[in-house]
Amino acid sequence: MKPTDDSERSDRSRRRALLMQRLQAGDSDACRELLDDIGPAVTGFLRRRIADSGELEDVYQEVFMALFEARQTYEPGRPLEPWLFAIARNVAADHLRRHWTRASWQELAADPPDRPDLSLDESPGAAPDLAEALEKLPLNQREAFSMLKLEGLSLEAAAARSGVSVGAVKVRAHRAYKALRKLFGGA
Amino acid sequence: MTTFNASHHDQLHRALVDRIAGHLRPRRSLWPVRRRLALWLLLEIAVLLRTVTETRGNWAARFASIPYTFEILFFAAAGLILAAMALRAAIPGREARPWQTVLAIVLAISGIALLFVTPMRTDIPLSQFISVGVVCVFFTCSKAALPLIALWWAVRRGAPGNGRAAGAMVGSAAMLFSFAIMRIDCPLDEPLHLITWHLGPVIAVTVLSAVAGALWLRFPLRRHAVSY
Repeated sequence: MKPTDDSERSDRSRRRALLMQRLQAGDSDACRELLDDIGPAVTGFLRRRIADSGELEDVYQEVFMALFEARQTYEPGRPLEPWLFAIARNVAADHLRRHWTRASWQELAADPPDRPDLSLDESPGAAPDLAEALEKLPLNQREAFSMLKLEGLSLEAAAARSGVSVGAVKVRAHRAYKALRKLFGGA
Repeated sequence: MTTFNASHHDQLHRALVDRIAGHLRPRRSLWPVRRRLALWLLLEIAVLLRTVTETRGNWAARFASIPYTFEILFFAAAGLILAAMALRAAIPGREARPWQTVLAIVLAISGIALLFVTPMRTDIPLSQFISVGVVCVFFTCSKAALPLIALWWAVRRGAPGNGRAAGAMVGSAAMLFSFAIMRIDCPLDEPLHLITWHLGPVIAVTVLSAVAGALWLRFPLRRHAVSY
């Protein structure tokens, strides 16, 4: 990563932290500026978790309302991103939990099929594609893998976005690689 | 499944920003975790002072026993760590680290192990065992009540992502500290009494607090209850 990228990122982070402090003080201009600035980052974050755009927009609104309602929990002087993405992660996880619960109920309510569905190749030798394999990983490992390998983020940027330490991201990514290797039939 | 429409998303974003900016009111940030933890500790010290001034008998002499002293220190330290974890759990992005959980559990288990330094007695009549024990349950819970309410309130002012864990931390922090204080207040060192009537309420309140936390502490679920 180029040093200028790091410096730009850290300037942006400082600016966001200052805007957040002004937002806490009730400055609506700072509020608009901050929300416009973080909007694309929140959208990108959510698009990696939610495929359906209708649902994504619902969750996007929920994230912004949650940021607004939890604004007193931001500690001035600290970087905004770990706080911001922790809230976005909680809201998205809450949404996914509700979604899965709803889907399970719908599945239970539906008529059971007469015969098992044999359209998918589930023989032991069949390797899953990457998307399927990623779905099988725990959320934090999937996130770590996606940020580092699919988005190409640095460890520091991935750690800041996840709101955890660099070490934790390394551990999660390592576990994800191991699990994927196993899923794809590697040693 | 619908596909992403950038212009529709921009319109939604603009409406959302207008709505939020229109309702924005100043809101002071919470005090730092350290300051709130120090206040909670002061409250616990007040409960401790009240207990030692009311306790009859020579409680200070019992501190000559090293296992007894360490036992109290371990439970108090576990309570303090859990209180810090609960306060941090309410700040998004600053949730407790796994090693803190491990440390609190190790301290509590070490404290429990030290309870067994005194040999267990099984010759106590059941009626006496229960009548003495019920009083201890009452005092363990009453000494934890105020710190538990204070910590619950402090955590509720934040935005805990995992309400169940935050609730469990709040309950266990207040009850473990109360356990340590009750070891000074209660003259009995008998392990069966301590496990049943002192540790039992700790576990019960922790479980109840976790259930209550899942219902009332988790931040995204209670967002609709928050007004502008």
